[in-house]
Amino acid sequence: MSIEIENISKQFGDFTALDNVSLTIPTGELVALLGPSGCGKTTLLRIIAGLEAADRGRILFNGENTTDRHVRERKVGFVFQHYALFKHMTVFDNVAFGLTVRPKSSRPSKGEIRDKVMNLLKLVQLDFQSDRYPSQLSGGQRQRIALARALAVEPQVLLLDEPFGALDAQVRAELRRWLRRLHDEIHVTSVFVTHDQEEALEVADRIVVMNKGRVEQAGTPDLVYDHPANPFVLNFLGNVNLFHGRTQHGVGVQDNRNAVSYVRSHDIEIDRSQQDSTSFRAEVKHVQKLGPSVRVTLVMDGNAELIEAELTRDAFQNLGLQHGEKVYVRPRQVRVFVEDYQI
Amino acid sequence: MSAPITKHAARQHGSRRISEPAAVRWLLTAIALAFLALFLALPLAAVFSQAFEKGWETYLAALKEPDTLAAVKLTLLTAAVAVPLNLVFGVAASWAIAKFSFTGKNLLITLIDLPFSVSPVISGLIYVLIFGRQGWLGPWLEAHDIKIVFAVPGIILATVFVTFPFIARELIPLMESQGKDEEEAAMVLGASGLQTFFRVTLPNIKWGIIYGVILCNARAMGEFGAVSVVSGHIRGMTNTVPLQVEILYNEYNYTAAFAVASLLAFLALVTLVVKTIAEWQVQRQLQD
Repeated sequence: MSIEIENISKQFGDFTALDNVSLTIPTGELVALLGPSGCGKTTLLRIIAGLEAADRGRILFNGENTTDRHVRERKVGFVFQHYALFKHMTVFDNVAFGLTVRPKSSRPSKGEIRDKVMNLLKLVQLDFQSDRYPSQLSGGQRQRIALARALAVEPQVLLLDEPFGALDAQVRAELRRWLRRLHDEIHVTSVFVTHDQEEALEVADRIVVMNKGRVEQAGTPDLVYDHPANPFVLNFLGNVNLFHGRTQHGVGVQDNRNAVSYVRSHDIEIDRSQQDSTSFRAEVKHVQKLGPSVRVTLVMDGNAELIEAELTRDAFQNLGLQHGEKVYVRPRQVRVFVEDYQI
Repeated sequence: MSAPITKHAARQHGSRRISEPAAVRWLLTAIALAFLALFLALPLAAVFSQAFEKGWETYLAALKEPDTLAAVKLTLLTAAVAVPLNLVFGVAASWAIAKFSFTGKNLLITLIDLPFSVSPVISGLIYVLIFGRQGWLGPWLEAHDIKIVFAVPGIILATVFVTFPFIARELIPLMESQGKDEEEAAMVLGASGLQTFFRVTLPNIKWGIIYGVILCNARAMGEFGAVSVVSGHIRGMTNTVPLQVEILYNEYNYTAAFAVASLLAFLALVTLVVKTIAEWQVQRQLQD
């Protein structure tokens, strides 16, 4: 089922959480709402779910206006950051909850509920834990149970609010791969909120980058990464270096003072000798090893601006860089933004 | 006895100084225990020993006295009305305060605390001023032959007023700490308001409610000041147990006075046990 978001605005006191947001989420896709904290992504998700009411605008499910429909009747599945499992119920009762609260006329029989719950628990690979209580499970298991509970009511839309936010790094990485596979299996339209660009790039079919209550860019991971619409998107999706117009050494637009060139840190090449007119001299200031990659901080000759370059460990070892050494630096790919335009 | 303790303390002192020296710990504990013995255990023992001074038969006879029986009945009736009323009010108020934001929320919290800050005698007087003969509604009530002050309704009203913060005060922090995630999850899954309350909220606040109810009940049965003002002390009619104790005591009928007082002391002990269990359960619930 597709979701259309039309001119949604939301104010909390003096704070504008959402400012005239419009967005279309196509059927069956897994979409990430990505942005820094306070950008309005969670508020937007809660408005789609009906847990929060928008001040202005409309929400349409499959072209049908659902703005005023109660959360109970929206048929959405919602997964909370802190799981929100019912503490006093077993795993089985948690997953069965959405079915057992149905009015008698539409409630499945006990046996049907049992089969369905056990199937869902198998889907999230936790069927052996059905008699346990949430407090006896690990964080990753709890979130999988929360997902099974949300899926039990056969939602038309699945909404996940920072679903991996409370988990440690390894479980996080494992669970997001698992979510991707699960989505490929069940294909329910899903929206998840995250502030982690890596997570969004890895899992989502489409990424919606948000900032200060507005959508900065929406598109496939490749599109937002390779063709960022503005400096914010570029900045948010990885480390970048800024070069102001006049300080360029053969790159960018030199005569336009408003132009800023951006280079991602892994698009910076370091050499011992000058390659061409686009390279410039710099001094190695600091080296930081980050597992598979190495971050080198350099100071540019002339204007003392700092540049960060990210190298693979191999490349770093081949170069054998030393502190204080003079090298040549060459940006491989430069993006220039002049005010709002991309050149 | 004290020599090995100080020696042990000195040894601990020298090696690892993580907590206070043992001597200090023992001293503090001893002071606390002595204080408890002097102000709690001793009076409690005195109540029971005085009550049983002239044997079982006198004790039972004192309790079987018609005026005393009437006082016990009235106290039970008062608690039976006041506690459920405050239970409903307390749950509703804390639900509203903990799960929703609205204007006037702080005012409501202040109002709930009011009976704690007002002297019980004043609380009683308020009702005399409103419902008494010379009060605002006095003439109208008299014209319609409704008696509130110096009658059972007045006693119940005063008790409700005095005991009304107990349950709400216990539930508000508990419900606030639990947040509203579980309720939201239940609603998204299609549960109605009532289903959400009975299947999700209530099990989470169960022990908090028991704790509040037991404290509310203890106060409702033991309240003296406010009830004394509105009761009128009519024997066998408007005397509650604490008032009956006072009357018997003033008549130098010590054995009977302490026999009735022992009922309240017994209630206090039961309250203490249930309260401890409830407190422990609430703590446990907050932890997971």
